[in-house]
Amino acid sequence: MEELSCETVFSLPVVGGISESVVVTWIIMAVLVVASLLLTRNLSVENPGKVQLMLEAGIGWAQDFFEGIIGKEAKRYGPYLITVLIYLAAANTLAPLFGFKPPTKDLNVTAALAVMSMCLIEFSGIRKNGVKHWVKHFAEPVPVVAPITVLEIVIRPLSLCMRLFGNMLAGFVVLELLKFFVPLIVPIPVSFYFDIFDGLLQAYVFVFLTALFMTEEME
Amino acid sequence: MISIDLNLVWTIINIIVLYLLLKHFLIGPVTNIMDRRRQMIEDGFKNAQAAQDDADRLKQEYEAALSGAKQESVQIVEDARKSARAEYDRIVNEAGQKAGSMIEAAKESVRTEREQTMKELKSQIAGLAAASAARIIGGHADEKGNSALYDQFLKEAGEGNGNAD
Repeated sequence: MEELSCETVFSLPVVGGISESVVVTWIIMAVLVVASLLLTRNLSVENPGKVQLMLEAGIGWAQDFFEGIIGKEAKRYGPYLITVLIYLAAANTLAPLFGFKPPTKDLNVTAALAVMSMCLIEFSGIRKNGVKHWVKHFAEPVPVVAPITVLEIVIRPLSLCMRLFGNMLAGFVVLELLKFFVPLIVPIPVSFYFDIFDGLLQAYVFVFLTALFMTEEME
Repeated sequence: MISIDLNLVWTIINIIVLYLLLKHFLIGPVTNIMDRRRQMIEDGFKNAQAAQDDADRLKQEYEAALSGAKQESVQIVEDARKSARAEYDRIVNEAGQKAGSMIEAAKESVRTEREQTMKELKSQIAGLAAASAARIIGGHADEKGNSALYDQFLKEAGEGNGNAD
């Protein structure tokens, strides 16, 4: 059962224990930054290389995707959502493939992402329509639903957080059990499904829903 | 396994830092490049459109100038033809008049000459008549003398006439 728990890697005197997921996140961050530095070395306007075309296709697709959901405001929020998308994709797929426990298996990580999403959702609404409209919109369409719509502030990120956490944990548990019973060959396709397909899908769903909630809030 | 602790805060910080890093190193440059390319393509289209418009405008101007020149040349040819015809008419008229007046003058001179000759003739005839009258009265009133006188008269008259013509 020790695979399920998030171990504390080391303890710092003041801030306390640093868990495995945070350390893996650091590694992912380092890899991503180094990769971006390497990939964006020779950007050119007129003669893009293959790597640059791939990069532009990816970033362009993500930007178009968020612009399709959010609209004009996507220019402001796009970079954060793309960052989360890349981070989640890396955390869900690359980490397990290289032998790390996926950080998204830790509730702290998904909760942190959900808190960020919650802040972003409410911030985008307030920024677009003003505080007054933001306060008023809880009582729409009828004032009776106000308690429910206020609860929505918490429910939406909670669902994001739990969906991601549950999916990753379940995939991880299934894979560990399978590895325990059938250590040969069989875990490969299952790993492809849970680590790559489900990992990318969950990353996609997370940013997609965040963008969708933002649009709702900005109406 | 399911516990919330300070690691949540570290993760939030991690994500914010990752956001700033990726925005600066990955998304920013790539977006910048894509924007610049889009700008370049738009500029290219704009320039092409401007050049096209310019060419169209020039073509219209040339066409207008060309049709103006054509009209002008037609006008010039027309004017030249008109003035040439007027000149021709004037010259022909003048020549006709001159010829008419010359013929008139010639006729006039012929007439005066004839009149003068007639006048001379008359005076000669009168003189001859007077002379022959004097001879008749003066003596030899015979047949032979008379006929000789007539012949002489006629001869002189014929000579005078011949001289007069």
